[in-house]
Amino acid sequence: MRHTVRLAVQEQYLRGATMIEKWDHARRLGFDAIELRGAGEGHFAARLDELKAAAAAGVIMPTVCVDMRHFVGDFDAEKRADALVQMKSQLSVMAEIGGRLAMTPASYGMFSKRLPPFVPPRSDEEDTEILLEAFGQLADHAESEDVIIALEPLNRYENHMINTLADAQALCEKIGSRHFGIAADTYHMNIEEADPPKAVIEAGPWIRHVQLSDSNRLEPGAGHIDWPVILDAVWAVGYDKELAFECRLSGEADEVLPVAVRRIRQSAWS
Amino acid sequence: MVLTAKPETPTRGEHDRLLREAVRVLLRNWHGHATVPSRSLYPHQWSWDSAFIALGLQHISATRAATELLSLFGAQWADGRVPQIVFNPAVPDDAYFPGPSVWRSSAIDGHPPIATSGIIQPPVHAVAVASIVPRLGERGLRFAERAYPCLVDLNAYIRNRRTVDGGLAALVHPWETGLDNSPAWDHPLAAVPADHTLFETYTRRDVAHAGVGERPTDDDYARYIRLMLMYRDHGYDDDWVRAEGEFLVVDPTFNALWAWSELALAEIARRLGRDHDGHLAEAARITAAMAERLWSEDRGLFVACDVRSGRLLPERTVAGLIPVILPGLPPKVVAALIATATGEAFRIGAPDVHGVPSFDLTDVRHEPRRYWRGPTWLNTTWLVARGLDVHGHHELARRLDDDLVGLVAKSGFREYFHPLTGRGHGTRSFSWSAALLIHVLAASD
Repeated sequence: MRHTVRLAVQEQYLRGATMIEKWDHARRLGFDAIELRGAGEGHFAARLDELKAAAAAGVIMPTVCVDMRHFVGDFDAEKRADALVQMKSQLSVMAEIGGRLAMTPASYGMFSKRLPPFVPPRSDEEDTEILLEAFGQLADHAESEDVIIALEPLNRYENHMINTLADAQALCEKIGSRHFGIAADTYHMNIEEADPPKAVIEAGPWIRHVQLSDSNRLEPGAGHIDWPVILDAVWAVGYDKELAFECRLSGEADEVLPVAVRRIRQSAWS
Repeated sequence: MVLTAKPETPTRGEHDRLLREAVRVLLRNWHGHATVPSRSLYPHQWSWDSAFIALGLQHISATRAATELLSLFGAQWADGRVPQIVFNPAVPDDAYFPGPSVWRSSAIDGHPPIATSGIIQPPVHAVAVASIVPRLGERGLRFAERAYPCLVDLNAYIRNRRTVDGGLAALVHPWETGLDNSPAWDHPLAAVPADHTLFETYTRRDVAHAGVGERPTDDDYARYIRLMLMYRDHGYDDDWVRAEGEFLVVDPTFNALWAWSELALAEIARRLGRDHDGHLAEAARITAAMAERLWSEDRGLFVACDVRSGRLLPERTVAGLIPVILPGLPPKVVAALIATATGEAFRIGAPDVHGVPSFDLTDVRHEPRRYWRGPTWLNTTWLVARGLDVHGHHELARRLDDDLVGLVAKSGFREYFHPLTGRGHGTRSFSWSAALLIHVLAASD
């Protein structure tokens, strides 16, 4: 269906000593926005002045993608508590710079039920209880800052708790906050969803952020995802915010990203 | 003719909302390889539905549109027939009646690798293929190479196994006409016994999903079952059914779409660098035979012919207007068709009529809520609109397109609509209603 899309690129692909230089690069590559990377240990909050200045200079930075070693669903209570502190801080930074959303998976690289030892040290019920508590707190904090916390389902090899949009949607419905939603990533969906466009339609308004990556984790167009139909599904549920490239690259950024940007815009326009 | 806009005609701003809804319907009804017409009432793949669906689906994903049709061709019989239903093996046998255990296609030599029904439906598929090929870019020719021989085999089946005197195709079951319970079939069906004891063995499923007043009657359904069982028990033998079947009609819409499909095949053959003269000649032959055999001067439209009694069936149905799709009709026939379409029987373009009613508004048998006995359907409305375009009547065609959009805006993606009130009837989230809305709005971009 003929429509236009807003595209964001994660900052690690951009050259420049300052955010303003990186923004120039992003624009040259064809992007409309930058997705920030949210490091832990207070590093993201330490960038507040830099990011405020960039925002004042017109750099569009609506979202931050978490970039930490541990997450809110960690088996270790201390790490969970720290992840909550970090995520609340990231939400506050986004509010201060005029952004709209921070995102995190339940965990990453901690456990997979598809790899030895197969049985996690915690029950499904305990997982759910911990995630409800964590995202309940984050939703409250996001509401107080008027931003959004989004949960990203990861594929089964990277996370054992939340793999599908429906898994995330179940948490969203239990918490029931307009400040808590789903970050849908096309790479993980390609592995986990029987029918990715239908999964988008079913999750509908709970989808608050979208990340693009092809079937092989490379930039859109470098794999075999049927882009027109997934973009139409996202459009049909009324999502009109940025689609953020979160992917590895098949070549030099300056060569492959402008091609991918054109392909995605063409797919949406077809 | 000067047409005034209907007050409820949706604005362009509303088109966006309708398109998003339509995309949601089609993506929900997709089942990995094809689209179900409706998740409740029709949980399998239907032949002509898939062609209309593919026309809309191509605007979402040309890949899916091609897959939709190739899936259907994957169920083509060795004799060339493309079956009316391809059964989803993941759906229980009794989810739809008559299901695979009643049709028993696997008992036939040359049956496809999946269970199907044994009858056919109007051949709209070539038109869909021709529309999709250019959208597939460099993959278009590969798709055309795969689809073309299937389409040629289907038309050869129609020509070699289904034609009767005069060279037009005959249909052996009302379900083959697409307009299942059209009043035109009342007379030929009256010769078929309505054996209600069949309901001791078989249970209708359709009335569980739509109102009894919106579906065919039990009498008609008993006849449908009898006809399919007899055809089945004769091994779906077309020599037998043409000689002895209790129902044998020559339908103007089926034959017109057959001729139209030959024109589409000519276009596909041209793209493939093959000879296309044969397709053009076949389209001309069918068109001329229709004008000679099915044109009714005093009814002002094409009518069906009951082969068993040898009589033309006088009912004025939308099936008699759809041949306007053919570019080779004599001008006076086109003029008469348009006069009939805009006249008292159908009143298309009138402020209080929505789309093209499926049956004569002035006939005492007109039932505005019952399936094909009066309601407006979007596929037949779309076909008439395209025919009006073929002959340069663009303003009237636009009106029908606007009506199509307006009906959906007013009543949703229903299966069919009351021709005067525009209220929706039959099943909801109906795939071809969504697909044709997309196709019409995409064409008007």
